[in-house]
Amino acid sequence: MAQTSTSRDLRFLDPAVIARLGTMELKARTVVEGFLAGLHRSPFKGFSVEFAEYRQYLPGDDLSTLDWKVYARSDRHYVKKFEEETNLECHLLVDVSASMAYCGGAPMSKLEYGSVLAGSLAFLMNRQRDATGLIAFDDRIAFRMPASARPGHLHALLLALEHLKPGERSDVGRPLHQLAEALVKRSLVVLISDLLDDPEPAIRGLRHLKFRGSDVVVFQVLDPHELTFPFRGPSRFRDVESADEVTADPASVRAAYLRELAGLTLRYDRELRGAGIDYVQLDTSQPLDFALLSYLSARSRRK
Amino acid sequence: MHFLFPVFLLGGLAIAVPIVLHFLRRDVAPPVPFTAVRLLRKSPVARSKRRRLRDLLLLAARVVALLLLAAAFARPYVAGAARGSTLRIIAVDRSYSMNAPGRFAHALDLAGRAIDEAAVGERVAVLAFDDHVGTVAAPGSATAARTALAAISAGFGATRYSEVFTKAAEIAAGDEARLILVSDLQRSGWDGEDRSVLPAGISLDVRDAGRAASNLSVVSVSVTPDRVIAAVRNSGPQPRTGKIRIEHDGRIAQTSTYTVGPDSAVDVAIPYRPPSTGTMTVSIDDPDGLSADNSRFVVLDAVPSNSVLLVTSGANSSGYYIARALAALGGTDVGRIDVRSSTAAALADDNLTKYSAVVLLSTRALDRRGRESIAGFVRAGGGLLIAGSPEVEAAVVSAIFNWSSSMTGTIEMPAAVALSPTDPRHPVFRPFASLSANLGQVRFARAWRMTPDGWDIAARFTDGNPALVERREGSGRVVVFASDLDRQWNDFPLHPAFVPFVIEAIRYLSAPHDRGRDYIVGTAPAGADLRPGAYRVGPDNRSIAVNVDPREGVTKEMGQQEFAQRVERVDTTSGSSGDVRSIHLEAGQSYWRYGLLLMLLALVAESFVGRA
Repeated sequence: MAQTSTSRDLRFLDPAVIARLGTMELKARTVVEGFLAGLHRSPFKGFSVEFAEYRQYLPGDDLSTLDWKVYARSDRHYVKKFEEETNLECHLLVDVSASMAYCGGAPMSKLEYGSVLAGSLAFLMNRQRDATGLIAFDDRIAFRMPASARPGHLHALLLALEHLKPGERSDVGRPLHQLAEALVKRSLVVLISDLLDDPEPAIRGLRHLKFRGSDVVVFQVLDPHELTFPFRGPSRFRDVESADEVTADPASVRAAYLRELAGLTLRYDRELRGAGIDYVQLDTSQPLDFALLSYLSARSRRK
Repeated sequence: MHFLFPVFLLGGLAIAVPIVLHFLRRDVAPPVPFTAVRLLRKSPVARSKRRRLRDLLLLAARVVALLLLAAAFARPYVAGAARGSTLRIIAVDRSYSMNAPGRFAHALDLAGRAIDEAAVGERVAVLAFDDHVGTVAAPGSATAARTALAAISAGFGATRYSEVFTKAAEIAAGDEARLILVSDLQRSGWDGEDRSVLPAGISLDVRDAGRAASNLSVVSVSVTPDRVIAAVRNSGPQPRTGKIRIEHDGRIAQTSTYTVGPDSAVDVAIPYRPPSTGTMTVSIDDPDGLSADNSRFVVLDAVPSNSVLLVTSGANSSGYYIARALAALGGTDVGRIDVRSSTAAALADDNLTKYSAVVLLSTRALDRRGRESIAGFVRAGGGLLIAGSPEVEAAVVSAIFNWSSSMTGTIEMPAAVALSPTDPRHPVFRPFASLSANLGQVRFARAWRMTPDGWDIAARFTDGNPALVERREGSGRVVVFASDLDRQWNDFPLHPAFVPFVIEAIRYLSAPHDRGRDYIVGTAPAGADLRPGAYRVGPDNRSIAVNVDPREGVTKEMGQQEFAQRVERVDTTSGSSGDVRSIHLEAGQSYWRYGLLLMLLALVAESFVGRA
């Protein structure tokens, strides 16, 4: 699906380009509009802000919903089905732990990439008139903006995203549990994190959210260096959060590292999907529309 | 722990190399900020830790190896290494001055008390000394020491202290010890001693066995055709008067009177025409003093000369230098040596018993009878000097005495090889004094290769090969000089040291046939007792007179404190390349071998760790 974007579109969605844009609002708008423009030329069907599906006309249907263009082309009566106006709340959970500030082989750090992603999603949600909220956390909730669909809320949310600063150690599970307890209605929860900590608390927290009736989407944002471990020569790898050090020759540990990472990814994928949670792994060197497309594709498959 | 060559410890600084390399290697691994260190920790971390541990082990092995190498070169030793307990050495004076009434018994009592004072587990050794030191009881139990002490008796030797300290240091062998010296502290015991050295690790405890108030002694006798002159010494504070008598062959032949002042000596001329043969005794009476020096024995027989046979090849040059050297003694009565030459072929017909020594310079045509003649001569008490030379076949020499593998061929010597006495106190080298340096100037081009088994080595070449060796054969003595004496393999005959070397070697070999007549107790040839008297010794049954050392009769004593001050204390525990004791101590311990062994083990471990 990602391959459907043209090179012209990718030029605007490329993280290197996005990174050079000024405000978060501009970044988000660029991403979303570029993404939507790409969709118009893509063979992907069924996505619009209001449009849901075509259905053959049945007696009793509202004639205003009849698509006369289709009738002109096919001599058949079809009506457009529109999405029902919802009161969906979307909570964007952005991990601001120190590890998210890591920027190895990509133009943007994971935090910047995740923020643009969150802003883009907020932009999309806003176009759907969904209420969007923001929670930034490391080992505790560092910032919280309640979900809202009021005019001006998007701007405030994007501004907040723009000013996110890296925190300390991450603890994904704790804010998830706190949020799960706080949610009173069915919501969409989008978690943007590198998920490099112990997966067990994170998975439990996400299951907790799911159990409380929320739809959950997880974006695991990883740097290309984390994905490929391209280091050369003996190095002392110092953890940016704990300052622990491991001296190793990358050539000798690369395979084992990638095996461990693949195992972690597989575990998230297996356990989250098993719980009905969408899980998408993102590479910060890849265009953001890949992320959006992956997300929307996943969402569409579930409808 | 001490080191013989501590300067080599500086080599230990070489450990800086692996340490610096280790840290440089650390710098090669720069810090890299990373996020997924937790994933690295799973399996890779273990490997990384192993690697770090391996690096540390490698560093440790290399540092240890370098330190051990430096330490091995520094030659470590432990000075005063304890051997389980402390050591108590008790030295008892047994000189004839100890024969004064009650003195030796008192000395034994003091020595017994010193043994009683030994702590439990303390080893006790007992020495008895006069002009020689004997180990009566080796380091052991107090009981054994008491038993050995009971067997000591005073003799007729003179007191000499220096050897006691040397012996004590030898027994202590670097350990801490206590030397308890029981003596009458005669001052004469220090005569002729330059310095006496005692290691600082040996404490000195001097115990005075008492002293005699006065003593009279006959210190010398000279004979003229018409009178006998006797020197009488009074060591007491009062003038003494008495009778002096001459006995010839056991009968009183003449008497006279003397008067001698306090602490002085007087020559007493006794009108007496002594016979030309027999022995004579000059005696005085001194019931309060020492008895051993109241008489002096004199031999009246004419002085015979020593005779030496040079066995040459027959060529004029053979034996030329050695004959000229012996001729340097001239025609004096005392010590004159008659030199005769003969070829090896004529040896069988010669009666060797008339010679005191034979010098074998050639074995050319030496037949079986000749070999048997030489062997018989030596075993009967004769002396044989063999010079390694082209004219002397080692195999023939070995066949004379059935030696096996003593001479194993000849060796070419580099130009720098000289002669170095192994034992400067050996009779051949003892009189050299200032000429000893000349020995080092002699250059040797060739010599026999000697196997020292069964031989005593008196000198070596500077390349380590034996140069002058000796051994007993029957009652006689064989001395082998590994190079020649005819200037074929060396330039020895051209050096001033050659003459005294030859003379002293011949005198040494002629000792059993020594025609000397006056001896001090302890220096007399075999056949004489260790007490004063007139004896007949040697194959020719010649008469000799053995007297006590007159210095012992001078009863001047010294205080314990003064005595202790005469002993120089040296700290032999401090490492120094010139410290002979340290060298011996280190050589005995040889810890450097263990150091090198451990270094090899460290390197083996390093190679194993490096491969891991």
